[in-house]
Amino acid sequence: MNHRFRTSIRLLTIVFAVVLPMTAALAGQAPFSSAKASATAKKWTAKTSDGQPDLQGYWTNSTYTPLQRPNGVTKEFYNPEEVVQIEKQAAGREEAQTEPGTIADVHYDFTQFSLDRSQSAHLTQLRTSMIVDPPDGRIPPATPEGLKRQADRAAERKRMGATTDAVENMPVGTRCIVMAGSGPPMMPTGYNGNYQIVQAPGYVMILTEMIHDVRIIPLDGRPQLPPNVRQWIGSSRGRWEGDTLVVETSNFNGKNPFQNASEAMRVIERFTRLDVDTIDYRFTIEDEKTWARPWTASLPLRKTVGPIFEHACSEGNYSVRNTLAGARAEEKRAAEAAAKKGLK
Amino acid sequence: MQTKLAIVATGFVLLLVAVPVWAHHAFSAEFDVNKPLTIKGTLTKWEMINPHSWFHINVKEPDGKVTEWMIEGGSPNTLIRLGVTKYTVKIGTELTIEGYQAKEGTNKAVGRNFILADGSRLFLSLNGSVPGTPGAPPEK
Repeated sequence: MNHRFRTSIRLLTIVFAVVLPMTAALAGQAPFSSAKASATAKKWTAKTSDGQPDLQGYWTNSTYTPLQRPNGVTKEFYNPEEVVQIEKQAAGREEAQTEPGTIADVHYDFTQFSLDRSQSAHLTQLRTSMIVDPPDGRIPPATPEGLKRQADRAAERKRMGATTDAVENMPVGTRCIVMAGSGPPMMPTGYNGNYQIVQAPGYVMILTEMIHDVRIIPLDGRPQLPPNVRQWIGSSRGRWEGDTLVVETSNFNGKNPFQNASEAMRVIERFTRLDVDTIDYRFTIEDEKTWARPWTASLPLRKTVGPIFEHACSEGNYSVRNTLAGARAEEKRAAEAAAKKGLK
Repeated sequence: MQTKLAIVATGFVLLLVAVPVWAHHAFSAEFDVNKPLTIKGTLTKWEMINPHSWFHINVKEPDGKVTEWMIEGGSPNTLIRLGVTKYTVKIGTELTIEGYQAKEGTNKAVGRNFILADGSRLFLSLNGSVPGTPGAPPEK
């Protein structure tokens, strides 16, 4: 890469990582967020017109913090200097161009399109993992039933053939059906990790930018949908426990399992507005068919700028077709080469 | 049968989580690592669609014939938030694209590097490298 432009990109990366989280909407926020840091910020007391604690606005869950604690890390929190170093290294890896002629290089450059996490508002936190329980920061070991399901799914996937054999074989995200940002639980998507929360009397609405899913969560204590009604993002019911919004979701359709969970998975999310810029977002996963114990993760939502732009996902317009046609063309070439070899 | 299909579908999600989330789909399945190319053309349209945008360019062959190419680029949503529009890179802008051609052999490619006429890398953001945006050098 041309050295001059590499330098300018590096500079930009630093500017965005440091400055963007402190732009107008984010002014006054400490550069690091944890329960400890937020305790020093001004407590949030604003209510909506019907008396709900006000969670409304635009939020992002973009972060470098992994779900599980990395191997070799034993502590719960890094110190600020370590976090700066870790993010700098990660941003450097995102910014670096890949080696021409390698599989990894067959991709457009994220940096050119401002898609690196370091180029947008993201949450810098001291936690070494999102998972806070179990205390080791790791997903608990799967039960024998969970392990068997994982093996069965792998075998079935093998039987189905390559993802390029049929459109139904492609991942649900590639087919624009649902992506990780919707959840629940709402997980970071790498880019476009933005949400809008709107509250109306009796309801909370969460709009997920990617890929434009909406959860309209009733707060009136109505029962869950009947067990035979299953949905991609489940069925969510909410209630207030003090200043914390608690949302329980079940009725998943099992076609997009979170961490190999079963259809019986229940997600309990807790949203607590800590200050003007931060919502403490925690989720607990309960699924006795997969894990002997529930597990909990914490991923604060950070205020960002709106609006949310429609993410009408149109992969079928070009890429799905290109991929399937490419696989057929390769098969044809291979068959022709084999036939030629046979003739010799 | 329905249960079986559901299990099949879930299996592929595991594949998805095994690769970086930003990869979205396997680009090496769509484009051919063995067909690297560098082409120069002029922009006729930028389709700002998700999850990936497409640059349409006209490429002039040595014999004067013009062929149309489509080049895959990044998701536009972040750029829209930053003020970039489908007109930010002006129609007629000369672009040199280093990339890889589609496996199916038509005039489509992924652009691993977009280069402007003055040799600078296209950088779609607010740093001024996009002609016509704040901070950009005066247009000639």
